[in-house]
Amino acid sequence: MASVAAAQQLPAPSLGNRADPTLPPAVPAEPATPNLIVDLSSARVSITSAFQGESLLLFGMFDPPGEIVVVVAGPPAREQVMRKERVLGLWLTTGRQSFDDVPAYYFIAASQPLQRLLARGAGGEILSLEDRLASVRPVGWRDPAQLARFRGGLVEVKRREGLYPAAFGQVTIQGGRLFRAELPFPSRLPEGAYDVRAYLLRDGKIAAVVSRPLPVSKVGFNAELAGWSREQGPLYGMGAIALALLVGWMGVAFMRRL
Amino acid sequence: MEIYLPIAEQSMNVFVLLGLGGAAGLLAGMFGVGGGFLATPLLIFVGIPPAVAVASQANQVVANSISSLQVQWRRGNVDLRMGLILLLGGMVGSSAGVTLFTYLKRIGQIDFVIAVLYVVMLSAIGTLMLAESLRTWLRTKRNPQAPRGKLHTHYLVHRLPLKMRFYKSKLYISALLPLGLGFVIGILSAILGVGGGFVLVPAMIYLLGMPTTVVIGTSNFQILFVAANVTFLQAATNGTVDVVLALLLILGGVVGAPIGARVAAKLPGVVLRGLMAVLVLAVAVELMTELLRTPASPFSLGVREVQS
Repeated sequence: MASVAAAQQLPAPSLGNRADPTLPPAVPAEPATPNLIVDLSSARVSITSAFQGESLLLFGMFDPPGEIVVVVAGPPAREQVMRKERVLGLWLTTGRQSFDDVPAYYFIAASQPLQRLLARGAGGEILSLEDRLASVRPVGWRDPAQLARFRGGLVEVKRREGLYPAAFGQVTIQGGRLFRAELPFPSRLPEGAYDVRAYLLRDGKIAAVVSRPLPVSKVGFNAELAGWSREQGPLYGMGAIALALLVGWMGVAFMRRL
Repeated sequence: MEIYLPIAEQSMNVFVLLGLGGAAGLLAGMFGVGGGFLATPLLIFVGIPPAVAVASQANQVVANSISSLQVQWRRGNVDLRMGLILLLGGMVGSSAGVTLFTYLKRIGQIDFVIAVLYVVMLSAIGTLMLAESLRTWLRTKRNPQAPRGKLHTHYLVHRLPLKMRFYKSKLYISALLPLGLGFVIGILSAILGVGGGFVLVPAMIYLLGMPTTVVIGTSNFQILFVAANVTFLQAATNGTVDVVLALLLILGGVVGAPIGARVAAKLPGVVLRGLMAVLVLAVAVELMTELLRTPASPFSLGVREVQS
C-alpha cells in the first residue's frame, strides 16, 4: 500500500491534573493540528496502451468538525493559444499568444459549494481556477483586452479537453469524518508531477493541509517509443521509414497469396 | 477498440485508423498519389494534432508508395529514368521550398499562402482533369472507331534542349521538363507538407504527355523518396512522427494499395482520370468549406513546453 500522507502533529497538550499543586497552572499548549489523512486508489496514473482516461478515488479521514476541499494541479508549462479570425471571408490563424506557468490540469472538489467556503476568507491558499490563472504570465506585450480574450480562449480549450473540468467535484463526507472524492483524468493527459492537496476547513479557515505528489507518466512500450522519438530522433526516423518499407513490401506479397 | 498513441498523446479507435489508412492506400494504388492531401485533413479532423498528423502520414505515404510501386514494377510500368530526373529536381525544389516556407513563416503569411495554394491548385487541377476526361469520353462514345488522340499538343517547350529518350513513356523530350516539374513539386511539397502527387500525376499526363499506365508507378517512385525525406526530417528535428499511428495507417494501406492498383489496371485511362478529377475537386470543395465555415471555437492550443 502506498504511503499514507498525514497532517503535521504538534505535541499533545498536557493533562489538567498536576502532581504538584504549588506550581502555577501550565499555560495551555496550542491546540494540536487536527488529524487529516489522505490516500488515493492508485499512487500514480500509468498511461498504458489501453489508456482512455481514468478516474482516481481520493479518500481519507479527519477529526470533525470541518469541510474538505481538494485541489489537483498539473505541472506548469508554457502554452500557446492560437486564434482564428475571418480575413477576406476565410478563417485563418491570425493571433498567437503564449503564457508561462500554465497548469497542465486543474481540478477542485469540495464538500460544500466552493463560493460559500471561500467567501468566508479561507481564500489565500486555496485558489479557484480564475485565481490560479491570474498568475499565468503572458509572453511578450499585448493590450489587456486582447490578453483577456486569449486567456479566455485558453480556458475554453482546456475545458474542451477535460483538463480544466468545468464542474466542481463533490467531496462526500460520511459520519462527519470519512470523506471521498472522484478525480477525473481525460485521455489526453500531459505527463508530469501532479500535486494533490486536501484542505480541512473550519469556520472558513484552513485547519490542516495534506499534500502528496501524483506522478503521471507513460509506461512500458509507450514510454520507450516516446523516449526514442525524443532522444534518438534521426534513428527513430530511419526506423520508422524502414518499418514502412518493410510492411509495405511484405504486405503486397502477402496480399498476393490471398 | 482503442489504442493509445504515444506521440500524439491520446487514444484513438483502431478501426477508424485502419479505415483511414485503407482509403489512403486505395488512392495511392489507383492514382499514384501519396494520399496525404486527403488523409492528413481527415486525421486532423478526428483530433490528431496537425504536426503529428502530417509527420505520421508522411510515414504512411512511404509504405503506400512502395506497395503500389512494387505492383507497378512487376508490370513494367515504371519509367526509372524519368523518375530519377524528377527526383533530382524534387530534391533541389524541396530545399528551396523549405527556405521559402521559413521566409513566409517569418513574415506571418504562411497560413494564408498554404490555404490559398491548396484550394487554388486543387480546384484548377480538378477542373482541368474533369474537363479533359469528359471531352475524351464523349469523343470516344460518339465515334468509337476514332484513334486515341494525343493528350497534349506540341508547345514551345518541346523545342527545349537536352532531349532524352524515355523508353517506358515512349517519349523523346527535353530532360529539363521533368527536372523543372520535379523542382516545382518539391517546392509545393515543402510548403504544403504533402508528397505532391495530386499535382505531379496530372502534370505528368498533360504536361509531359506520359501514358497514364506509366504515370502511376513513376510518380510513386518520386513520392516514395519525398515522403521518406519528410518523415526523416520531422522525426529528427521535431519528434512528431507517431510510429504507432503510422503503423496502423500503414496496415490499412497495405490492404488498400494493391486493391487500388488492381482496379486501376482494369479501368481505361479516361475513366481513371475522371475519377481522380472528381476526387481532387471533392477535396478542394471540402477545404474551401473548412476555410469558410465558422469554427466551433476560434481558439486552439499550440505546442506545450514544460517548465519547472
